Amino acid sequence: MSASSHFVYVTIIRTTPAKLWEALTDPKLIRQYWYGVNVECAWTKGAPWKLAFPDGRLADAGEILEIAPPRRILIRWQNEWNPEMKAEGPSCCTIDLEPLDDAVKLTITHDLDRPESRFIRAVSGAWPYTLANLKSLLETGAVATNSHPGH
Amino acid sequence: MPRSTFVYVTYIRTTPEQLWSALTDQEFQKQYWFGVHCESEWTPGSSWKMVHPDGRITDAGEILESDPPRRLVIRWRHEDKPELKAEGDSLCTMELEPTGRAVKLSITHTIERESSKLITAVSGGWPRIISNLKSLLETGSTILASGSKR
Repeated sequence: MSASSHFVYVTIIRTTPAKLWEALTDPKLIRQYWYGVNVECAWTKGAPWKLAFPDGRLADAGEILEIAPPRRILIRWQNEWNPEMKAEGPSCCTIDLEPLDDAVKLTITHDLDRPESRFIRAVSGAWPYTLANLKSLLETGAVATNSHPGH
Repeated sequence: MPRSTFVYVTYIRTTPEQLWSALTDQEFQKQYWFGVHCESEWTPGSSWKMVHPDGRITDAGEILESDPPRRLVIRWRHEDKPELKAEGDSLCTMELEPTGRAVKLSITHTIERESSKLITAVSGGWPRIISNLKSLLETGSTILASGSKR
């Protein structure tokens, strides 16, 4: 435990597992709530996964390790744009969806097998913003904000 | 120093003034906090207590800092379950920061001991409370009823 870095975030969204799954895997929806990034993936086990900045530069890449619609996605996630974070090696991101009343509990867990990871610190800042926008988009039809303090 | 910390950040499409009011108004709290409300004058040095619908007081403490609509620090001690009460005082800091047309809300809950059961307990509670608060402010209704225990 002490040798790894760990981020976990839970949010509850008024939607269905099927709609949340679509929002997590459809590039057109992802772009709306996630800094305008472009995600490329076939969303099958073993498929390559790529995340590119709006200008086309590759940000992160990896592979789908596990996928069970509409409940769970496990991604091997390697930073590609920042040399120091890239040198930390691959992280593992788990996305879990669980029905809760008329809503869905979404849990994001992001782990990297080294202490005090810079990459995990970076995603700890980014996930709350991305997921707050995702929740607003699904519940109100619009994101909460387009101005992120770090962007 | 050994410490347990829980941090939760979200962005809510509202104003700092409305969010401050939502965090400190008893009747509004009851709507998103599963019937619970907090009694306090919300001024530095004033007492603070969390009151459940049946009148039980489970948590109590004192306002250490209050800077509306930006920052609130509560000395927060659990009073109900013996193993949580025995851990003593925790600190809960709420920070509000305007971000475009939204407000960044950061909640940091910390206690000076390792593997705290209190921090584990609040780590389960805050995401549900703040998810409800965000929905209430952005859509006019909450998403979870008071009976949702998971």
